[in-house]
Amino acid sequence: MTADANISTRVDNREGMQYLETIPHRLVTLWIPLLIFLFVLLFPFYWMALTTFKPNSELLNYSDFNPLWVVEPTLANIKKLLFDTQYPRWLLTTMVVAVAATFLSLFCSVLAAYAIARLRFKGSETVGLLIFLAYLVPPSILFIPLATMIFEMGLYDSMWALILTYPTFLIPFSTWLLIGYFKTLPFELEECALIDGASRFQILTKIILPLSLPGLISAGIFAFTLSWNEFIYALAFISSSENKTVPVGVLTELVEGDVYHWGSLMAGALFGSLPVAILYSFFVDYYVSSLTGAVKE
Amino acid sequence: MSDFTRRDVIKTTIGAAAVGAGGGLLLPRQAMAQQAPNLPIEKGATLRLLRWSQFVQGDIDTWTANTKKFTEKTGVEVRIDREAWPDIAPKASVAANVGSGPDIILDFFDVPHLFADKLVDLTDIATYIGNKYGGWFPVCERYAKQGNQWIALPLGAAGACMVYRKSHVEAAGFKEFPKDMDGFLQLCKALHAKGTPAGFALGNAVGDGSWTYWLIWAFGGKIVDDNNKVVINSPETIKALEYAKELYPTFAPGTLGWLDPNNNKAFLDGQISLTNNGISVYYAAKNSQDPKIKAMADDIYHANFPIGPVGRPTELHLFSQAYVFKYSKYPNAAKAYLQFMWEKEQYEPWQEASIGYITHPLKDYENNKVWSSDPKSLPYRDTVKNMLWHGYSGTLGPASAAALNDYIVNNMVAQAASGSKTPKEAAEEAEKRLLRIYKS
Repeated sequence: MTADANISTRVDNREGMQYLETIPHRLVTLWIPLLIFLFVLLFPFYWMALTTFKPNSELLNYSDFNPLWVVEPTLANIKKLLFDTQYPRWLLTTMVVAVAATFLSLFCSVLAAYAIARLRFKGSETVGLLIFLAYLVPPSILFIPLATMIFEMGLYDSMWALILTYPTFLIPFSTWLLIGYFKTLPFELEECALIDGASRFQILTKIILPLSLPGLISAGIFAFTLSWNEFIYALAFISSSENKTVPVGVLTELVEGDVYHWGSLMAGALFGSLPVAILYSFFVDYYVSSLTGAVKE
Repeated sequence: MSDFTRRDVIKTTIGAAAVGAGGGLLLPRQAMAQQAPNLPIEKGATLRLLRWSQFVQGDIDTWTANTKKFTEKTGVEVRIDREAWPDIAPKASVAANVGSGPDIILDFFDVPHLFADKLVDLTDIATYIGNKYGGWFPVCERYAKQGNQWIALPLGAAGACMVYRKSHVEAAGFKEFPKDMDGFLQLCKALHAKGTPAGFALGNAVGDGSWTYWLIWAFGGKIVDDNNKVVINSPETIKALEYAKELYPTFAPGTLGWLDPNNNKAFLDGQISLTNNGISVYYAAKNSQDPKIKAMADDIYHANFPIGPVGRPTELHLFSQAYVFKYSKYPNAAKAYLQFMWEKEQYEPWQEASIGYITHPLKDYENNKVWSSDPKSLPYRDTVKNMLWHGYSGTLGPASAAALNDYIVNNMVAQAASGSKTPKEAAEEAEKRLLRIYKS
């Protein structure tokens, strides 16, 4: 067979610009960046998990042991975390506070965002901007005036101190996020409902909210994560060990002077990050769709 | 004798009589000073104490046991809350600003000077305890007094010493740990040459970064003078920074980013043979389950910081003190509690249980058996005696606190040591930063 015959029998099934999709091209544009992203995102979890199961001898000795592997895994760090500290209690407190603050914030944010996005009152744009600006006030400035209020209301050292103060930074962000989402919903849906005699409240609960589920979930995940990781208010407003949240509690109990119990600290961080990771994994589709827009007009 | 006039005789006689009378008056006064102040405890009193999390378990166990003894004796319930030690200051600020919170706080450095007007005068118990137990070390008055008033009660300091591997130091040609700066530099060079280097934290380490203050003070440098005038940019400071520049290449890699836990880890990992630290490294090794690290404990020794050209110790340690807020409904109960906890019967067992992590503020407590039961802990005994206050030689207050919290001295030494700035440039930048703080 001649060379010409070979060429003539080769079938090219590629369409459009697929001829550009060579293996080196895909390697550079897809696989290498993807691997780098995966490494950056997953390595901290790997390190946390690794340290959790490392005995102290391996943790300190990099010359005899590979720092990226564990030779003799131990559960001692987890035992110390769960049985020598009040970690389960802190986890419960953190969960209750994060869930309550998230629901409270979402409730307020939905009402605020709907009003700003749909009720055409004078200055609604400015109000929307001001709400977002409120988000920019750092908690390190807000915590002292808030502390005065918390003490005056007799809420110091209780979960309510956190449930009621976390919305100060959750509501502005969630509202801003939901305003954007509500604006992508077509007006016509509401106008039809109005013609059919629906009230504003009915429109909100029966049309807008069901359509805004991805946006609500997105705002909810943000609010939950921010509440879960919050430190400064939890440090300032909670005093007793049993009412502490995970971020504050682990530091109090697992850092003794300049001795850090790394194994238990990492176990605490790992278990603390699991609920958030699980939450993300359940709702990731909604989360992505909320970022790419709502109902197409 | 011809110059000795009748008037002089009268003066001398009156003077002698006054001294005699004064002496007679002074004796009962001293005796009275050792009498405990009258502190009628308020009816139904309860107290809340916020203190730093324990450095060692024995600390909190014995503190709690002593507190229980106080409750049994007086009927006053004391609730003890704990926070990680760097987190006490923000909680204290909140309490001071809102006028509510713990009755007593156990804190570090000069925090009580930031809200001195909101604190209960502790002069009576401080005077009583000081007189009873041989007096306070000089630095205690600096930290705890504002004017003539004691606004806090010094607890002591989490002292730092030079922690070294004796076999490595000997292998480097030194039979004893050097006591001067030249010898110290030579030791670090020799350790480096042997592949067993030193390592000192040059990052923003709250406790272990305090060696940078020692270095500057050892050569006569200081951030401010007696009148709070910024004098950091001085020939003495430059000399200290040039020393740091020569010292830095002898360190293990990575010290520029080291924080408080890094040197502990590097030492126990065998990466370094010399660092500055509390007694925690030694006890971590001694109590380790790992036979290799446990064996290291036999080789770990401690020494006080070498003395520089100024000719006297110039150390800085994590100084802790207690204070009582005026908003407390039970100030007498709070004072009675502090007095009880500082008495020898409570303080010494607590210090012993803390395995020497905290060095006493009172001269008489240096005979505590914690310093003799393990001779290796002995250098820590003198850390409070040897220390200066971080705002040396000015006064303590918001400016000195800001200078400490901004790590100005640590950063200056790190810049000069690493060569990112010349000693002169590093001192100039520190001067600018300090001027902003001390002028405002």
